[in-house]
Amino acid sequence: MKFEKHCLVALMALAALLPLVVRDQYLLHIAIMVLFYAVLASSLNLVVGYVGEFSLGHTAFLGTGAYAAAILSTQYGWPMWATVPVAGLLAAVVGVVIGGITLRLQGPFFVIVTLSFAEVLRLVADNWIGLTNGPMGIAGIPQPALLGDAGNLGAKLFYYAVAWVLLALTLYLSFRFVHSNAGRAAVAVRENRYVAQSIGIRPLSYSMLALVLGALLSGMAGGFYAHYISFVGPEVFRFAFMVSMIIMVLVGGKGTLVGPLIGALLVTFLEEYLREAKELRLSIFGLAVIAIVLFLPRGLMGFVVQWREARKAQAPQVARKAERRAA
Amino acid sequence: MSATLAMNAPRALEVRGLGKSFGGIHAVKDISFDVHPGEIVGLIGPNGAGKTTCFNLITGFYTPSAGQVRFGGSDVTGRKPYHMARMGIVRSFQKTNILKSLTVFENVLTGHYMEARQPLWRTFFPGRAVRAAEAAARESAERIVRTMGLANRMDTPASVLSCGELRLLEVALALAAKPEILMLDEPAAGLNSQEARQFGEILKSVRGQLVSSILIVEHNMGLVMGVSDRVVVMHFGQKLAEGTPAQVQADSKVVEAYLGGGGKKA
Repeated sequence: MKFEKHCLVALMALAALLPLVVRDQYLLHIAIMVLFYAVLASSLNLVVGYVGEFSLGHTAFLGTGAYAAAILSTQYGWPMWATVPVAGLLAAVVGVVIGGITLRLQGPFFVIVTLSFAEVLRLVADNWIGLTNGPMGIAGIPQPALLGDAGNLGAKLFYYAVAWVLLALTLYLSFRFVHSNAGRAAVAVRENRYVAQSIGIRPLSYSMLALVLGALLSGMAGGFYAHYISFVGPEVFRFAFMVSMIIMVLVGGKGTLVGPLIGALLVTFLEEYLREAKELRLSIFGLAVIAIVLFLPRGLMGFVVQWREARKAQAPQVARKAERRAA
Repeated sequence: MSATLAMNAPRALEVRGLGKSFGGIHAVKDISFDVHPGEIVGLIGPNGAGKTTCFNLITGFYTPSAGQVRFGGSDVTGRKPYHMARMGIVRSFQKTNILKSLTVFENVLTGHYMEARQPLWRTFFPGRAVRAAEAAARESAERIVRTMGLANRMDTPASVLSCGELRLLEVALALAAKPEILMLDEPAAGLNSQEARQFGEILKSVRGQLVSSILIVEHNMGLVMGVSDRVVVMHFGQKLAEGTPAQVQADSKVVEAYLGGGGKKA
């Protein structure tokens, strides 16, 4: 817990110092995308890592948030400081609805049904032209007024700061959740539903809490994305976003708070770096994911945690053998 | 824990005519018995007699097709498992069931869920009250781990424990939920006779201290007969006999059920 906290604080402090050094707009753009993906991966990790169910529908919340911010700002003229939180709240409401239906399922059933929800929302965004402008998407999402004469670099720095605050909020809420009685209850449900119930835990309550928290955070990330890119189309619901998030969580290590940050950092940079390789890019990613799943099933951070634990406990191998014999 | 026991008058568990059929098969039929406050009751019977089904019916993992479960006089038949736990009836499972990837201490700490529960917003903005509750839960968890004799395994991942230690951890996890009635399903499976004896001593020492009464399903006759005040014998889903360990062991029907006549199972 201490180790994790120190890692998080150190990473966030580094991120806060970055704009003092980096003045290159392209690099800043990548840094903003790293922070944005870190929020998404962390929010997905709450479901995958702490509820233990594999959601393929997390883009539903991202997209809901993005469209909410886009519509509220273009049609109703809401300012960014209002659209982003409301985007999060709307995504949380969608989370309650989707969670109420899907969290009663487990394993492959949960995976398929969450995937379908994202796909349904994509079709809605594609076809409800009156609200979403259909496949054309919503363009020209206004920038905050204070960026009026800030220039391109100023705008990048502003968005970097907003993304940093969003990530800080994400990490604070996740940290509080994970290291609380509620977080322990969620882990108990993940590890063993029957034991969880036998000690008084209602499984649905905690898988729901984690899912809705994840939805809230990715909805806010979606709202941020809408303003930053200034355009939202149905592709926010596309599977490509989902793939990136999953790779980040798996590579970094699900069920750890630091893992998704490292995953977001590595994958975003790799995606940029491998842009030259075009079609080969996804194949290389595929190979990397296979390697991680085979050799580091708990991800990079899971590997570090395991190594630390092994050093601390030095559990005798004898006990493990005895157990195997008994079983 | 002892505080909660002292505050509420100890309650009795009453099982009346409990039955469950799967398709046409009566797994459990017309079972009735009581667990009075302060008692350790053994539930025994040959394999397939319906003991575990009985446990699942009482704790709400199965819905009974007939009969009633009463706790402290009120009808609690068919309540959800977590509801039963919240009322004070906590069970363990036949197949080892713990939270594998957590350490011994974390397992027992997680067991304090009900005690450490907070309003939702407190999860994200903990104040002094939450920190105090967390500290109390940690202290209590440590005490339970020590009581169960697992002190030197405190920070060991549960996945590397020996079979005997796992059995103790299972009981520790159930005790952490501060039950009034503890229901153990074959807690000594896989223990040798010396370990089983020690286990029996631990059970006797927690009764009246950490729990009010215990209902135990067990095949190790030395253990059951040693700890139980009363024993209920099941056979083919029905109650065959009930009485003190001595009475039950002398019952010819019981002997026959186990061995088909002559001698008793050690």
